[in-house]
Amino acid sequence: MDFQVLWAVMRWPLAASLLFPPLLVYLGLHVVKREVIFVDLALAQVATLGTCVALLLGYHFEDPLTFWISLGVTFIGAAFFSWSRTAKKTGVPQEAIIGITFVVAAAGVILMLSRIAGGKEELEHLLTGDILNVQASDIWQRALVFAGLGAFYAAFHKRFVLISSDPDKAFADGVKVRLWDFLFYAAFAIVVVSFVRVAGVLLTFAYLIVPAVCGTMLAAEWGRRLMIGWVVAAASSLLGLWASYQFDLPTGAAIVCAAGFILALVGVSKAFRRA
Amino acid sequence: MKTMNFFRLASVVGVALAAVGSAAGAQIKVVATTPDLASLAREIGGKAVSVTALAKPTEDPHFVDAKPSHIVTLNRADVLIDGGAELELGWLPPLLESARNSKIGAGAPGRVVASEGIKLIEVPTSFDRSKGDVHSLGNPHFTIDPVAAKTVAGNIARHFAAVDAKNAALYRSNLAKFNAAVDGKLAEWQKQLAPYRGAKIVTYHKDFGYFANRFGLQVAETLEPKPGIAPSPSHLAQVIGVMRRGGVKVILVQSFQNRKTASTIARQTGATVIDASQQPGAAPNTGTYISLIDNLVKTIAAALARK
Repeated sequence: MDFQVLWAVMRWPLAASLLFPPLLVYLGLHVVKREVIFVDLALAQVATLGTCVALLLGYHFEDPLTFWISLGVTFIGAAFFSWSRTAKKTGVPQEAIIGITFVVAAAGVILMLSRIAGGKEELEHLLTGDILNVQASDIWQRALVFAGLGAFYAAFHKRFVLISSDPDKAFADGVKVRLWDFLFYAAFAIVVVSFVRVAGVLLTFAYLIVPAVCGTMLAAEWGRRLMIGWVVAAASSLLGLWASYQFDLPTGAAIVCAAGFILALVGVSKAFRRA
Repeated sequence: MKTMNFFRLASVVGVALAAVGSAAGAQIKVVATTPDLASLAREIGGKAVSVTALAKPTEDPHFVDAKPSHIVTLNRADVLIDGGAELELGWLPPLLESARNSKIGAGAPGRVVASEGIKLIEVPTSFDRSKGDVHSLGNPHFTIDPVAAKTVAGNIARHFAAVDAKNAALYRSNLAKFNAAVDGKLAEWQKQLAPYRGAKIVTYHKDFGYFANRFGLQVAETLEPKPGIAPSPSHLAQVIGVMRRGGVKVILVQSFQNRKTASTIARQTGATVIDASQQPGAAPNTGTYISLIDNLVKTIAAALARK
Protein backbone atom coordinates (compact mmCIF):
# COMPACT_ATOMS: atom_id res chain seq x y z
CA MET A 1 0.00 0.00 0.00
CA ASP A 2 1.28 3.43 -0.89
CA PHE A 3 1.05 5.33 2.38
CA GLN A 4 1.57 8.78 0.93
CA VAL A 5 -1.36 8.40 -1.44
CA LEU A 6 -3.41 6.71 1.28
CA TRP A 7 -2.73 9.65 3.59
CA ALA A 8 -3.50 12.24 0.93
CA VAL A 9 -6.84 10.63 0.06
CA MET A 10 -8.04 9.49 3.45
CA ARG A 11 -6.81 12.09 5.94
CA TRP A 12 -9.91 14.33 5.99
CA PRO A 13 -12.33 11.40 6.15
CA LEU A 14 -10.13 10.07 8.94
CA ALA A 15 -10.25 13.39 10.80
CA ALA A 16 -14.04 13.55 10.42
CA SER A 17 -14.55 9.97 11.56
CA LEU A 18 -12.37 10.42 14.64
CA LEU A 19 -13.36 13.96 15.71
CA PHE A 20 -17.15 13.84 15.54
CA PRO A 21 -18.24 10.38 16.74
CA PRO A 22 -17.30 10.92 20.45
CA LEU A 23 -20.22 13.32 20.91
CA LEU A 24 -22.47 11.00 18.92
CA VAL A 25 -21.46 8.11 21.20
CA TYR A 26 -22.41 10.17 24.27
CA LEU A 27 -25.80 10.97 22.78
CA GLY A 28 -26.15 7.33 21.81
CA LEU A 29 -25.80 6.29 25.46
CA HIS A 30 -28.74 8.54 26.33
CA VAL A 31 -30.75 7.19 23.44
CA VAL A 32 -30.11 3.59 24.45
CA LYS A 33 -30.96 4.44 28.08
CA ARG A 34 -34.20 6.08 27.06
CA GLU A 35 -35.02 3.12 24.83
CA VAL A 36 -35.76 5.43 21.93
CA ILE A 37 -33.26 3.78 19.60
CA PHE A 38 -34.83 5.06 16.43
CA VAL A 39 -35.18 8.66 17.55
CA ASP A 40 -32.01 9.64 15.72
CA LEU A 41 -33.03 7.79 12.59
CA ALA A 42 -36.35 9.61 12.78
CA LEU A 43 -34.67 12.98 13.39
CA ALA A 44 -32.16 12.32 10.61
CA GLN A 45 -35.05 11.50 8.33
CA VAL A 46 -36.86 14.67 9.39
CA ALA A 47 -33.64 16.59 8.69
CA THR A 48 -33.55 15.01 5.23
CA LEU A 49 -37.16 16.04 4.77
CA GLY A 50 -36.09 19.61 5.61
CA THR A 51 -33.29 19.40 3.05
CA CYS A 52 -35.81 18.26 0.44
CA VAL A 53 -38.08 21.19 1.29
CA ALA A 54 -35.12 23.51 0.59
CA LEU A 55 -34.25 21.72 -2.66
CA LEU A 56 -37.85 21.96 -3.75
CA LEU A 57 -37.81 25.68 -3.01
CA GLY A 58 -34.95 25.88 -5.47
CA TYR A 59 -31.99 26.18 -3.10
CA HIS A 60 -28.88 24.22 -3.87
CA PHE A 61 -27.74 21.43 -1.55
CA GLU A 62 -24.66 23.48 -0.57
CA ASP A 63 -26.62 26.68 0.09
CA PRO A 64 -26.39 27.80 3.76
CA LEU A 65 -30.15 28.39 3.70
CA THR A 66 -30.66 24.71 2.95
CA PHE A 67 -28.92 23.93 6.22
CA TRP A 68 -31.08 26.38 8.20
CA ILE A 69 -34.32 25.15 6.65
CA SER A 70 -33.29 21.60 7.41
CA LEU A 71 -32.43 22.53 11.00
CA GLY A 72 -35.70 24.43 11.44
CA VAL A 73 -37.75 21.45 10.32
CA THR A 74 -35.72 19.19 12.61
CA PHE A 75 -36.39 21.48 15.60
CA ILE A 76 -40.10 20.98 14.99
CA GLY A 77 -39.41 17.24 15.15
CA ALA A 78 -37.41 17.70 18.36
CA ALA A 79 -40.22 19.68 19.98
CA PHE A 80 -42.67 16.98 18.96
CA PHE A 81 -40.57 14.23 20.55
CA SER A 82 -40.07 16.08 23.84
CA TRP A 83 -43.80 16.74 23.99
CA SER A 84 -44.78 13.17 23.10
CA ARG A 85 -42.55 11.73 25.83
CA THR A 86 -44.35 13.40 28.69
CA ALA A 87 -47.73 12.91 27.06
CA LYS A 88 -47.32 9.16 27.35
CA LYS A 89 -50.23 8.72 29.70
CA THR A 90 -52.33 8.00 26.63
CA GLY A 91 -50.86 4.50 26.65
CA VAL A 92 -49.15 4.91 23.31
CA PRO A 93 -45.45 4.07 23.64
CA GLN A 94 -43.06 6.74 22.41
CA GLU A 95 -41.32 4.21 20.19
CA ALA A 96 -44.53 4.04 18.15
CA ILE A 97 -44.60 7.82 17.69
CA ILE A 98 -40.95 7.75 16.63
CA GLY A 99 -41.55 4.94 14.17
CA ILE A 100 -44.50 6.74 12.67
CA THR A 101 -42.49 9.96 12.37
CA PHE A 102 -39.76 8.02 10.60
CA VAL A 103 -41.95 6.39 7.96
CA VAL A 104 -44.00 9.51 7.31
CA ALA A 105 -40.85 11.63 6.95
CA ALA A 106 -39.29 8.98 4.71
CA ALA A 107 -42.40 8.84 2.53
CA GLY A 108 -42.51 12.64 2.44
CA VAL A 109 -38.93 12.65 1.18
CA ILE A 110 -39.87 10.24 -1.61
CA LEU A 111 -42.85 12.41 -2.59
CA MET A 112 -40.76 15.57 -2.71
CA LEU A 113 -37.83 14.02 -4.51
CA SER A 114 -40.16 12.75 -7.22
CA ARG A 115 -40.53 16.41 -8.15
CA ILE A 116 -36.80 17.16 -8.15
CA ALA A 117 -34.46 16.28 -11.00
CA GLY A 118 -32.31 13.30 -10.11
CA GLY A 119 -34.37 12.75 -6.99
CA LYS A 120 -33.77 9.03 -6.61
CA GLU A 121 -30.00 9.40 -6.71
CA GLU A 122 -30.13 12.44 -4.44
CA LEU A 123 -32.00 10.29 -1.93
CA GLU A 124 -29.32 7.66 -2.12
CA HIS A 125 -26.64 10.28 -1.50
CA LEU A 126 -28.51 11.59 1.55
CA LEU A 127 -28.62 8.04 2.89
CA THR A 128 -25.00 7.13 2.24
CA GLY A 129 -23.46 10.59 2.53
CA ASP A 130 -20.12 11.53 1.04
CA ILE A 131 -17.63 11.27 3.87
CA LEU A 132 -14.89 10.44 1.37
CA ASN A 133 -15.01 13.92 -0.10
CA VAL A 134 -15.23 15.81 3.17
CA GLN A 135 -13.00 18.91 3.07
CA ALA A 136 -11.02 20.74 5.72
CA SER A 137 -13.56 23.59 5.83
CA ASP A 138 -16.44 21.15 6.54
CA ILE A 139 -14.46 19.79 9.45
CA TRP A 140 -13.48 23.09 11.11
CA GLN A 141 -17.02 24.46 11.03
CA ARG A 142 -18.48 21.32 12.54
CA ALA A 143 -15.66 20.94 15.05
CA LEU A 144 -16.60 24.35 16.49
CA VAL A 145 -20.29 23.43 16.65
CA PHE A 146 -19.53 20.04 18.20
CA ALA A 147 -17.17 21.55 20.76
CA GLY A 148 -19.85 24.02 21.85
CA LEU A 149 -22.50 21.34 22.10
CA GLY A 150 -20.10 19.00 23.87
CA ALA A 151 -19.52 21.67 26.50
CA PHE A 152 -23.30 22.14 26.82
CA TYR A 153 -23.91 18.43 27.42
CA ALA A 154 -20.94 18.19 29.79
CA ALA A 155 -22.16 21.15 31.86
CA PHE A 156 -25.62 19.63 32.35
CA HIS A 157 -24.53 15.98 32.27
CA LYS A 158 -26.07 15.09 35.67
CA ARG A 159 -29.42 16.65 34.79
CA PHE A 160 -29.53 14.90 31.40
CA VAL A 161 -28.65 11.56 33.01
CA LEU A 162 -31.45 12.06 35.54
CA ILE A 163 -34.13 12.84 32.96
CA SER A 164 -32.89 10.04 30.70
CA SER A 165 -32.90 7.35 33.37
CA ASP A 166 -35.58 8.48 35.82
CA PRO A 167 -37.90 11.16 34.46
CA ASP A 168 -40.46 10.65 37.26
CA LYS A 169 -37.86 11.43 39.93
CA ALA A 170 -36.78 14.45 37.91
CA PHE A 171 -40.42 15.63 37.89
CA ALA A 172 -40.62 15.13 41.62
CA ASP A 173 -37.39 17.11 42.09
CA GLY A 174 -39.01 20.03 40.31
CA VAL A 175 -36.97 19.78 37.09
CA LYS A 176 -38.80 21.15 34.05
CA VAL A 177 -38.55 17.84 32.23
CA ARG A 178 -40.33 18.96 29.10
CA LEU A 179 -38.06 21.99 28.67
CA TRP A 180 -34.89 20.01 29.31
CA ASP A 181 -36.09 17.26 27.03
CA PHE A 182 -36.54 19.85 24.31
CA LEU A 183 -33.06 21.28 24.93
CA PHE A 184 -31.68 17.76 24.77
CA TYR A 185 -33.42 16.98 21.50
CA ALA A 186 -32.69 20.41 20.00
CA ALA A 187 -28.96 20.05 20.60
CA PHE A 188 -29.30 16.48 19.35
CA ALA A 189 -30.94 17.84 16.21
CA ILE A 190 -28.03 20.20 15.55
CA VAL A 191 -25.58 17.31 15.90
CA VAL A 192 -27.60 15.04 13.66
CA VAL A 193 -28.27 17.66 10.98
CA SER A 194 -24.68 18.80 10.72
CA PHE A 195 -23.27 15.29 10.77
CA VAL A 196 -25.85 13.79 8.40
CA ARG A 197 -24.81 16.33 5.79
CA VAL A 198 -21.28 14.96 5.63
CA ALA A 199 -21.79 11.36 6.65
CA GLY A 200 -25.32 10.39 5.61
CA VAL A 201 -28.16 8.85 7.60
CA LEU A 202 -26.77 5.32 7.87
CA LEU A 203 -23.36 6.27 9.19
CA THR A 204 -24.84 8.74 11.69
CA PHE A 205 -27.09 6.03 13.08
CA ALA A 206 -24.20 3.57 13.27
CA TYR A 207 -21.98 5.98 15.22
CA LEU A 208 -24.79 6.80 17.62
CA ILE A 209 -26.00 3.33 18.42
CA VAL A 210 -23.34 0.69 17.83
CA PRO A 211 -20.64 2.04 20.20
CA ALA A 212 -23.26 2.86 22.83
CA VAL A 213 -24.65 -0.67 22.67
CA CYS A 214 -21.13 -2.11 23.02
CA GLY A 215 -20.54 0.15 26.02
CA THR A 216 -23.86 -0.85 27.60
CA MET A 217 -23.09 -4.54 27.09
CA LEU A 218 -19.65 -4.37 28.67
CA ALA A 219 -19.96 -1.87 31.52
CA ALA A 220 -22.45 -0.54 34.04
CA GLU A 221 -21.52 3.05 34.72
CA TRP A 222 -21.53 6.05 32.38
CA GLY A 223 -17.81 6.83 32.34
CA ARG A 224 -16.68 3.34 31.39
CA ARG A 225 -19.47 2.92 28.86
CA LEU A 226 -18.40 6.18 27.25
CA MET A 227 -14.75 5.06 27.10
CA ILE A 228 -15.68 1.71 25.54
CA GLY A 229 -17.96 3.50 23.09
CA TRP A 230 -15.19 5.85 22.02
CA VAL A 231 -12.80 2.98 21.44
CA VAL A 232 -15.41 1.07 19.43
CA ALA A 233 -16.22 4.16 17.33
CA ALA A 234 -12.55 4.84 16.61
CA ALA A 235 -11.89 1.19 15.80
CA SER A 236 -14.90 1.09 13.44
CA SER A 237 -13.64 4.24 11.69
CA LEU A 238 -10.12 2.90 11.22
CA LEU A 239 -11.25 -0.53 10.08
CA GLY A 240 -13.88 0.93 7.74
CA LEU A 241 -11.57 3.51 6.20
CA TRP A 242 -8.85 0.91 5.71
CA ALA A 243 -11.28 -1.53 4.05
CA SER A 244 -12.67 1.26 1.89
CA TYR A 245 -9.22 2.12 0.61
CA GLN A 246 -7.88 -1.40 0.35
CA PHE A 247 -10.87 -2.90 -1.47
CA ASP A 248 -12.11 0.34 -3.07
CA LEU A 249 -15.52 0.36 -1.37
CA PRO A 250 -17.90 3.26 -0.74
CA THR A 251 -16.47 4.75 2.46
CA GLY A 252 -19.56 5.43 4.60
CA ALA A 253 -21.06 1.99 4.06
CA ALA A 254 -17.70 0.36 4.80
CA ILE A 255 -17.54 2.07 8.21
CA VAL A 256 -21.12 1.02 9.02
CA CYS A 257 -20.31 -2.60 8.22
CA ALA A 258 -17.07 -2.39 10.22
CA ALA A 259 -19.08 -1.15 13.23
CA GLY A 260 -21.52 -4.04 12.82
CA PHE A 261 -18.62 -6.46 12.62
CA ILE A 262 -17.06 -5.09 15.82
CA LEU A 263 -20.41 -5.29 17.62
CA ALA A 264 -20.67 -8.93 16.58
CA LEU A 265 -17.18 -9.59 17.96
CA VAL A 266 -18.10 -7.93 21.25
CA GLY A 267 -21.32 -9.95 21.45
CA VAL A 268 -19.61 -13.25 20.71
CA SER A 269 -16.77 -12.62 23.17
CA LYS A 270 -19.27 -11.70 25.87
CA ALA A 271 -21.29 -14.85 25.27
CA PHE A 272 -18.13 -16.96 25.56
CA ARG A 273 -17.10 -15.24 28.77
CA ARG A 274 -20.46 -15.92 30.30
CA ALA A 275 -20.39 -19.57 29.27
CA MET B 1 1.56 24.30 5.84
CA LYS B 2 -0.37 21.08 5.50
CA THR B 3 -1.09 21.88 1.88
CA MET B 4 2.64 22.35 1.32
CA ASN B 5 3.29 18.94 2.81
CA PHE B 6 0.65 17.43 0.61
CA PHE B 7 2.19 18.86 -2.54
CA ARG B 8 5.61 17.67 -1.50
CA LEU B 9 4.28 14.19 -0.88
CA ALA B 10 2.29 14.25 -4.08
CA SER B 11 5.34 15.30 -6.06
CA VAL B 12 7.45 12.55 -4.50
CA VAL B 13 4.78 10.03 -5.43
CA GLY B 14 4.51 11.59 -8.86
CA VAL B 15 8.25 11.34 -9.49
CA ALA B 16 8.31 7.76 -8.30
CA LEU B 17 5.42 6.84 -10.54
CA ALA B 18 6.92 8.72 -13.48
CA ALA B 19 10.09 6.68 -13.05
CA VAL B 20 8.06 3.46 -13.13
CA GLY B 21 6.11 4.81 -16.08
CA SER B 22 9.20 5.61 -18.19
CA ALA B 23 10.47 2.09 -17.66
CA ALA B 24 7.18 0.81 -19.08
CA GLY B 25 7.36 3.10 -22.12
CA ALA B 26 6.09 6.37 -20.57
CA GLN B 27 2.42 6.12 -21.40
CA ILE B 28 0.53 9.24 -20.43
CA LYS B 29 -2.16 8.56 -17.87
CA VAL B 30 -5.55 9.61 -19.17
CA VAL B 31 -8.71 9.67 -17.07
CA ALA B 32 -12.09 10.04 -18.75
CA THR B 33 -15.25 10.67 -16.75
CA THR B 34 -17.36 8.30 -18.85
CA PRO B 35 -16.62 5.19 -20.95
CA ASP B 36 -17.63 6.87 -24.24
CA LEU B 37 -15.00 9.55 -23.77
CA ALA B 38 -12.52 6.85 -22.70
CA SER B 39 -13.14 4.88 -25.90
CA LEU B 40 -12.48 7.99 -28.01
CA ALA B 41 -9.28 8.62 -26.03
CA ARG B 42 -8.13 5.07 -26.81
CA GLU B 43 -8.74 5.64 -30.53
CA ILE B 44 -6.55 8.75 -30.50
CA GLY B 45 -3.92 7.70 -27.95
CA GLY B 46 -3.35 4.14 -29.05
CA LYS B 47 -0.41 2.57 -27.22
CA ALA B 48 0.97 5.95 -26.12
CA VAL B 49 -1.68 6.35 -23.42
CA SER B 50 -3.34 4.33 -20.69
CA VAL B 51 -6.99 5.24 -20.26
CA THR B 52 -9.23 4.84 -17.20
CA ALA B 53 -12.93 5.70 -17.09
CA LEU B 54 -14.37 6.79 -13.74
CA ALA B 55 -17.99 5.81 -14.45
CA LYS B 56 -18.83 2.23 -15.29
CA PRO B 57 -20.65 1.63 -18.61
CA THR B 58 -23.76 0.49 -16.74
CA GLU B 59 -23.73 3.40 -14.29
CA ASP B 60 -25.79 6.56 -14.72
CA PRO B 61 -23.17 9.17 -15.73
CA HIS B 62 -25.18 11.84 -13.86
CA PHE B 63 -24.60 10.04 -10.56
CA VAL B 64 -21.40 8.19 -9.79
CA ASP B 65 -20.61 6.95 -6.27
CA ALA B 66 -17.30 8.35 -5.05
CA LYS B 67 -14.69 5.74 -4.20
CA PRO B 68 -11.11 6.17 -2.95
CA SER B 69 -9.71 4.85 -6.23
CA HIS B 70 -11.34 7.73 -8.11
CA ILE B 71 -9.34 10.25 -6.09
CA VAL B 72 -6.11 8.28 -6.48
CA THR B 73 -6.66 7.94 -10.23
CA LEU B 74 -7.36 11.66 -10.61
CA ASN B 75 -4.38 12.55 -8.42
CA ARG B 76 -2.05 10.61 -10.73
CA ALA B 77 -3.60 11.64 -14.04
CA ASP B 78 -1.76 13.56 -16.75
CA VAL B 79 -4.94 14.26 -18.68
CA LEU B 80 -8.61 14.45 -17.67
CA ILE B 81 -11.38 14.36 -20.25
CA ASP B 82 -14.77 15.54 -19.04
CA GLY B 83 -17.94 16.19 -20.98
CA GLY B 84 -17.90 19.91 -20.33
CA ALA B 85 -21.68 20.24 -20.25
CA GLU B 86 -22.30 19.60 -16.56
CA LEU B 87 -23.16 15.93 -17.04
CA GLU B 88 -20.72 15.13 -14.20
CA LEU B 89 -21.65 18.20 -12.13
CA GLY B 90 -22.98 16.10 -9.25
CA TRP B 91 -19.84 14.10 -8.58
CA LEU B 92 -16.72 15.32 -10.37
CA PRO B 93 -16.05 18.67 -8.60
CA PRO B 94 -15.69 17.21 -5.06
CA LEU B 95 -13.45 14.43 -6.40
CA LEU B 96 -11.27 16.98 -8.20
CA GLU B 97 -11.04 19.05 -5.05
CA SER B 98 -9.90 16.01 -3.09
CA ALA B 99 -7.44 14.94 -5.81
CA ARG B 100 -5.61 18.31 -5.96
CA ASN B 101 -3.93 17.80 -9.30
CA SER B 102 -3.07 21.07 -11.04
CA LYS B 103 -2.17 19.22 -14.26
CA ILE B 104 -5.85 18.56 -14.89
CA GLY B 105 -7.27 21.82 -13.49
CA ALA B 106 -9.63 23.97 -15.56
CA GLY B 107 -7.76 25.58 -18.44
CA ALA B 108 -4.67 23.38 -18.08
CA PRO B 109 -3.38 21.58 -21.20
CA GLY B 110 -4.15 18.33 -19.39
CA ARG B 111 -7.86 19.15 -19.16
CA VAL B 112 -9.91 18.23 -22.21
CA VAL B 113 -13.38 19.75 -22.37
CA ALA B 114 -15.12 17.36 -24.75
CA SER B 115 -17.97 19.72 -25.65
CA GLU B 116 -15.64 22.42 -27.01
CA GLY B 117 -16.78 23.34 -30.51
CA ILE B 118 -20.07 21.44 -30.25
CA LYS B 119 -23.35 23.29 -30.56
CA LEU B 120 -25.44 22.01 -27.67
CA ILE B 121 -29.19 21.60 -28.10
CA GLU B 122 -31.97 22.34 -25.60
CA VAL B 123 -30.10 25.16 -23.86
CA PRO B 124 -32.52 26.39 -21.16
CA THR B 125 -33.50 30.05 -21.20
CA SER B 126 -34.07 30.04 -17.46
CA PHE B 127 -32.62 27.74 -14.86
CA ASP B 128 -34.86 26.06 -12.31
CA ARG B 129 -33.86 22.74 -10.81
CA SER B 130 -37.39 21.86 -9.78
CA LYS B 131 -38.33 22.04 -13.47
CA GLY B 132 -35.81 19.34 -14.18
CA ASP B 133 -33.20 21.48 -15.87
CA VAL B 134 -30.21 19.69 -14.50
CA HIS B 135 -27.89 21.13 -17.10
CA SER B 136 -27.70 24.88 -17.55
CA LEU B 137 -25.43 24.62 -20.60
CA GLY B 138 -27.74 22.41 -22.66
CA ASN B 139 -28.20 18.71 -23.34
CA PRO B 140 -24.91 16.96 -22.43
CA HIS B 141 -25.57 13.65 -24.25
CA PHE B 142 -23.81 14.65 -27.47
CA THR B 143 -21.23 11.89 -27.95
CA ILE B 144 -23.94 9.62 -29.37
CA ASP B 145 -23.86 11.76 -32.55
CA PRO B 146 -20.92 10.41 -34.64
CA VAL B 147 -20.22 13.85 -36.11
CA ALA B 148 -19.95 15.32 -32.60
CA ALA B 149 -17.72 12.39 -31.68
CA LYS B 150 -15.30 13.52 -34.40
CA THR B 151 -15.15 16.98 -32.80
CA VAL B 152 -14.52 15.39 -29.39
CA ALA B 153 -11.76 13.23 -30.91
CA GLY B 154 -10.23 16.40 -32.38
CA ASN B 155 -10.26 18.09 -28.95
CA ILE B 156 -8.64 15.04 -27.41
CA ALA B 157 -5.92 14.85 -30.11
CA ARG B 158 -5.09 18.53 -29.68
CA HIS B 159 -4.64 18.23 -25.92
CA PHE B 160 -2.73 14.94 -26.16
CA ALA B 161 -0.27 16.65 -28.54
CA ALA B 162 0.12 19.58 -26.15
CA VAL B 163 0.82 17.32 -23.16
CA ASP B 164 2.96 14.78 -25.01
CA ALA B 165 4.64 16.60 -27.90
CA LYS B 166 6.90 13.75 -28.95
CA ASN B 167 3.90 11.64 -29.94
CA ALA B 168 2.02 14.50 -31.60
CA ALA B 169 2.35 12.95 -35.07
CA LEU B 170 0.88 9.66 -33.80
CA TYR B 171 -2.14 11.44 -32.32
CA ARG B 172 -2.71 13.36 -35.55
CA SER B 173 -2.57 10.24 -37.68
CA ASN B 174 -4.85 8.32 -35.27
CA LEU B 175 -7.33 11.20 -35.46
CA ALA B 176 -7.25 11.11 -39.25
CA LYS B 177 -7.82 7.34 -39.15
CA PHE B 178 -10.73 7.67 -36.72
CA ASN B 179 -12.35 10.46 -38.74
CA ALA B 180 -12.04 8.43 -41.93
CA ALA B 181 -13.54 5.39 -40.19
CA VAL B 182 -16.49 7.41 -38.89
CA ASP B 183 -17.07 9.05 -42.28
CA GLY B 184 -17.07 5.66 -43.96
CA LYS B 185 -19.47 4.21 -41.41
CA LEU B 186 -21.70 7.27 -41.27
CA ALA B 187 -22.84 6.78 -44.87
CA GLU B 188 -23.60 3.15 -44.04
CA TRP B 189 -25.53 4.04 -40.85
CA GLN B 190 -27.54 6.69 -42.65
CA LYS B 191 -28.42 4.20 -45.36
CA GLN B 192 -29.60 1.68 -42.75
CA LEU B 193 -31.87 4.22 -41.08
CA ALA B 194 -32.93 6.05 -44.27
CA PRO B 195 -36.13 4.01 -44.74
CA TYR B 196 -37.36 5.22 -41.33
CA ARG B 197 -36.74 8.94 -41.82
CA GLY B 198 -39.20 10.85 -39.63
CA ALA B 199 -40.11 7.76 -37.59
CA LYS B 200 -41.09 8.50 -34.01
CA ILE B 201 -39.39 6.96 -31.01
CA VAL B 202 -39.81 7.31 -27.26
CA THR B 203 -36.84 7.44 -24.88
CA TYR B 204 -36.63 7.23 -21.13
CA HIS B 205 -34.47 10.31 -20.63
CA LYS B 206 -33.69 13.17 -23.02
CA ASP B 207 -30.55 11.40 -24.12
CA PHE B 208 -31.14 10.55 -27.78
CA GLY B 209 -31.78 14.05 -29.16
CA TYR B 210 -28.44 14.35 -30.96
CA PHE B 211 -28.76 10.85 -32.40
CA ALA B 212 -32.31 11.51 -33.59
CA ASN B 213 -31.29 14.79 -35.22
CA ARG B 214 -28.39 13.12 -37.03
CA PHE B 215 -30.42 10.22 -38.41
CA GLY B 216 -33.73 11.96 -39.08
CA LEU B 217 -35.70 10.30 -36.28
CA GLN B 218 -38.13 12.09 -34.02
CA VAL B 219 -38.24 11.75 -30.23
CA ALA B 220 -42.01 11.95 -29.68
CA GLU B 221 -41.93 11.75 -25.87
CA THR B 222 -39.75 10.82 -22.94
CA LEU B 223 -40.95 8.58 -20.10
CA GLU B 224 -39.56 11.10 -17.64
CA PRO B 225 -41.93 14.08 -17.48
CA LYS B 226 -38.85 16.31 -17.20
CA PRO B 227 -35.20 15.33 -17.35
CA GLY B 228 -34.21 13.54 -14.17
CA ILE B 229 -37.72 13.43 -12.71
CA ALA B 230 -39.17 9.97 -12.18
CA PRO B 231 -42.15 9.05 -14.39
CA SER B 232 -45.51 9.88 -12.82
CA PRO B 233 -48.76 8.05 -13.61
CA SER B 234 -50.40 11.04 -15.31
CA HIS B 235 -47.39 11.66 -17.51
CA LEU B 236 -47.22 7.99 -18.48
CA ALA B 237 -50.89 8.11 -19.43
CA GLN B 238 -50.06 11.02 -21.70
CA VAL B 239 -47.11 9.11 -23.21
CA ILE B 240 -49.40 6.15 -23.95
CA GLY B 241 -51.79 8.53 -25.71
CA VAL B 242 -49.02 10.07 -27.80
CA MET B 243 -47.67 6.64 -28.72
CA ARG B 244 -51.06 5.26 -29.76
CA ARG B 245 -51.97 8.30 -31.83
CA GLY B 246 -48.53 8.57 -33.42
CA GLY B 247 -48.01 4.85 -33.95
CA VAL B 248 -44.77 4.89 -31.97
CA LYS B 249 -43.37 1.37 -31.78
CA VAL B 250 -39.96 1.77 -30.17
CA ILE B 251 -38.87 2.73 -26.63
CA LEU B 252 -35.16 3.22 -26.01
CA VAL B 253 -33.90 2.54 -22.48
CA GLN B 254 -30.36 2.60 -21.12
CA SER B 255 -29.24 -0.07 -18.69
CA PHE B 256 -29.39 2.16 -15.58
CA GLN B 257 -32.86 3.47 -16.38
CA ASN B 258 -36.09 1.90 -15.17
CA ARG B 259 -36.87 -0.82 -17.67
CA LYS B 260 -40.01 -1.87 -15.79
CA THR B 261 -41.71 1.44 -16.59
CA ALA B 262 -40.79 1.05 -20.24
CA SER B 263 -42.12 -2.54 -20.30
CA THR B 264 -45.42 -1.46 -18.76
CA ILE B 265 -45.85 1.20 -21.43
CA ALA B 266 -44.78 -1.25 -24.13
CA ARG B 267 -47.47 -3.73 -23.05
CA GLN B 268 -50.09 -1.00 -23.28
CA THR B 269 -49.00 0.15 -26.74
CA GLY B 270 -47.57 -2.94 -28.41
CA ALA B 271 -44.17 -1.25 -28.67
CA THR B 272 -40.74 -2.86 -28.35
CA VAL B 273 -38.31 -1.90 -25.58
CA ILE B 274 -34.71 -1.69 -26.78
CA ASP B 275 -31.63 -1.77 -24.59
CA ALA B 276 -29.92 1.24 -26.08
CA SER B 277 -26.88 1.93 -23.97
CA GLN B 278 -24.81 4.92 -24.99
CA GLN B 279 -21.72 3.66 -23.20
CA PRO B 280 -19.26 1.34 -24.94
CA GLY B 281 -18.96 -1.92 -23.06
CA ALA B 282 -22.43 -1.93 -21.48
CA ALA B 283 -23.64 -4.49 -24.02
CA PRO B 284 -21.55 -7.34 -25.50
CA ASN B 285 -19.49 -6.51 -28.61
CA THR B 286 -19.75 -2.76 -28.15
CA GLY B 287 -16.26 -2.17 -26.77
CA THR B 288 -15.31 0.56 -29.24
CA TYR B 289 -17.18 3.69 -30.21
CA ILE B 290 -17.80 2.51 -33.77
CA SER B 291 -19.02 -0.92 -32.69
CA LEU B 292 -21.35 0.81 -30.22
CA ILE B 293 -23.00 2.97 -32.88
CA ASP B 294 -23.01 0.03 -35.29
CA ASN B 295 -24.94 -2.04 -32.79
CA LEU B 296 -27.29 0.81 -31.88
CA VAL B 297 -28.17 1.60 -35.52
CA LYS B 298 -28.70 -2.08 -36.30
CA THR B 299 -31.00 -2.69 -33.31
CA ILE B 300 -33.03 0.47 -33.84
CA ALA B 301 -33.42 -0.22 -37.56
CA ALA B 302 -34.53 -3.77 -36.80
CA ALA B 303 -37.11 -2.58 -34.28
CA LEU B 304 -38.44 0.10 -36.62
CA ALA B 305 -38.72 -2.49 -39.41
CA ARG B 306 -41.15 -4.51 -37.26
CA LYS B 307 -44.60 -3.17 -37.92
